[in-house]
Amino acid sequence: MSTVHEPEPGRLVYTEQELLASGDYAEPLIANEIRCHGGFLEDGTYLSPRTQHRAPAIHAWKQRLTQQGHELIDIPRSLMPPQYPNVAQAKLLLCNGVREPIVRALTIISIVEGFGAMIRDVRVPKLESLFVEALEGTALAHLTQGLFEAHARDESGYRDEGGHKQMWEAARDEALENPKIPGDVLMRIMGRRQKRAKTGPIFPEIDPQLERMLAFMSQVMVIEIFAEGTFEWGIGLLSDPEISANPKAAGDMVSFIQQDEKPHVEYLRTALSEVRARTIRTVDEKEIPGSVVIDEFLHRILHAMSRNRQRDQRDDLRENLIQAMQVAQDPKTLLEEFDALDQAWTPPAETGFTSTRSPAAA
Amino acid sequence: MDAARGDRIHLDAKPSRCMNLRTRIQRTIKVGWTAAVVWSSYKLPSTARRLTGRPPRTDAELSQRHERTARRILALALDMRGVMIKMCQALATRSDVFPPEFIAHLKQCHDAVPPKPYSVIQAVVERELKKPLAAVFSEFDQAPLASASLAQVHRARLLDGREVAVKVQYPDIEDIIRNDLANMRRICRIYEFFDPQPLALLPLLTELTNHIGYELDFVREGKFAERVRALFAADEQVKIPEIYPDLGTHRVLVMELVGGIKITDKKKIEAAGLDPVDVMQDLMHIYVRMILAAGFFQADPHPGNLFVTEEGKIVVLDFGLSKELPEGFGLGLFELMFSLMTFNETAMLRAFDELGFRSKTGDTKPFLLIARRMVSRSDSGSFEGEFTEEMTSELFDAIRDDPIAQVPSDFVLVARVFSLLSGIAHTLGSRANVLAAMSGG
Repeated sequence: MSTVHEPEPGRLVYTEQELLASGDYAEPLIANEIRCHGGFLEDGTYLSPRTQHRAPAIHAWKQRLTQQGHELIDIPRSLMPPQYPNVAQAKLLLCNGVREPIVRALTIISIVEGFGAMIRDVRVPKLESLFVEALEGTALAHLTQGLFEAHARDESGYRDEGGHKQMWEAARDEALENPKIPGDVLMRIMGRRQKRAKTGPIFPEIDPQLERMLAFMSQVMVIEIFAEGTFEWGIGLLSDPEISANPKAAGDMVSFIQQDEKPHVEYLRTALSEVRARTIRTVDEKEIPGSVVIDEFLHRILHAMSRNRQRDQRDDLRENLIQAMQVAQDPKTLLEEFDALDQAWTPPAETGFTSTRSPAAA
Repeated sequence: MDAARGDRIHLDAKPSRCMNLRTRIQRTIKVGWTAAVVWSSYKLPSTARRLTGRPPRTDAELSQRHERTARRILALALDMRGVMIKMCQALATRSDVFPPEFIAHLKQCHDAVPPKPYSVIQAVVERELKKPLAAVFSEFDQAPLASASLAQVHRARLLDGREVAVKVQYPDIEDIIRNDLANMRRICRIYEFFDPQPLALLPLLTELTNHIGYELDFVREGKFAERVRALFAADEQVKIPEIYPDLGTHRVLVMELVGGIKITDKKKIEAAGLDPVDVMQDLMHIYVRMILAAGFFQADPHPGNLFVTEEGKIVVLDFGLSKELPEGFGLGLFELMFSLMTFNETAMLRAFDELGFRSKTGDTKPFLLIARRMVSRSDSGSFEGEFTEEMTSELFDAIRDDPIAQVPSDFVLVARVFSLLSGIAHTLGSRANVLAAMSGG
């Protein structure tokens, strides 16, 4: 599905109000009796929220960057770990009455989507003084002028409109007929705190607030890109009439979220590419190429997410899945069938980004 | 299930005869007199104004009256101590019922009282453990580490060399409390009989009776501490003292002695090489995990109960006021707090309903108005993930201004916890970022 918003040639500066504007819909999106963001045109096409100006703006910033001869960040799909359990495995579980792990997974996805709203609280330093080159007419200059806020509203909803959190809940409830939510859902999220790293900043020579902001944006961008696998999984599973009570409504709902997420990936990709194309002023009045900083973050994040974190999460899930399978008639056979459907995956040796600050690089 | 629901101390029983009759009468007269003065200071002027055709008191006049009344109640509590201190502390958490002037005064009611003599404490320990002190401890400090309205704590050493803290309940406290609670119950009944539109004080008194009952039961406290300790067993950032149940009774609690830097001592925290922002975020994580994810929590996070070790571990002490939440309540609370902090009024409405908030008329309009009032704060900036004291006040102001018939008492307790945490955060020059803590970050 594509939006109807056309780029305005040459326009690179937008107000916050414009970047948060949605335009008119012929029909609103109602999910689970809740008015959600976005809506439909006369011909039934779904239109994402807050894209009336945001979509053409991102397009224009991206175009300018490439016309100036700079590259856009590209995260290869080969780095994206597969969903576990995959669609076939999840379907097998549901067909055998093992619903709890899937309900839990869908609920966790909805909550984690909602946490995306935290992006509105990112502290943004005065960027103009931290870069050598000008920032006017860039995505970077618009982060606090509507881009972060639009992202936050899309994820958790705003005022009388639901967002992706409520849309994922609706997809789950449509497909699995308002299932009982496992009592340990919040413990799964809040119980897995990572030990606080005591390593200090990676780039002590740059403004600490800028480092935190860029690291956070890089992390969110990778999560958003990897979420593509989650959307495909959600659509594949919830639109399957064999296990879904309302395959059309549930599948469509996930595809609407997928469509809404595209501007998030694109503005983050554009803004971080703009940093890569620029030079950062250090605190001791020297300079460091933005590409060194961004590539370092991306290398570290992709390395961790495609290796350790993926393995840990898989191990943790597997333990829980085996436990949940005990409700099936023949848990042993079910586990064998489940494992037979697994797809082997080895992360690529390289992330595609160069690290200059990791111990290995040193 | 409540860890020790079956073992609860029953404070609704009649006071025993062993309490000095003169003391009982004196306490009864003091409470009764204060109640009569408070009631008449509100009712007589308004009746007189009605009869003489004068307009009702202005907001400013009423505010002055609330101030004077709050000061009178506070003075009574500081004079009588025991349950009156507890009552003031409890009233100070109910900003959904009482005006801000009451809350501001009564929340100053601290729990520190002069300690009982060592001989009294020794007698309690020996009677409870059914052994002489020297048969259990190789050392027992005569001066307490801390003393409060219900008990005091002494440092001691077990015969095997382990250093412990011994919490000892005052010998006559149960009787004093029973007497005071019986007096207050009588006064509330009289008040409800005479006042045509009474505040619902009896349910508050029942809640207070339950809470004090929990606090007086050290076996329950020990079991809660062990549950929380098990919850954080794998978390290197948290330290909950080990309880020695074999040496404990309902009135004596023996636990591992754990010390540290007081959580609000920013200078010492920094001197230890710790970042107060990290300390605060660890503390927030402990509380959201207990309240929202586990559904049971230590409900008294005041600075006297929270410490930081030199290694940066958060120490949580005193599980006397601990609470078990009903099944599903944590998820409902999560939804309410999350929707509040992300300005989603539709989700807020659903959460109010799921948590058991009810309006007098049965419709949802008052909740929509509250939700809109809270969400309108986004016009003047974001909450930045923080559930502040101001937000709690704003929420309860909105609830008081609208006809909300039922506010779940568990919610009130949780709101108080986050409000206390927000206060600690401000002392540390940090923020109590609930949103980040909820996300596991």
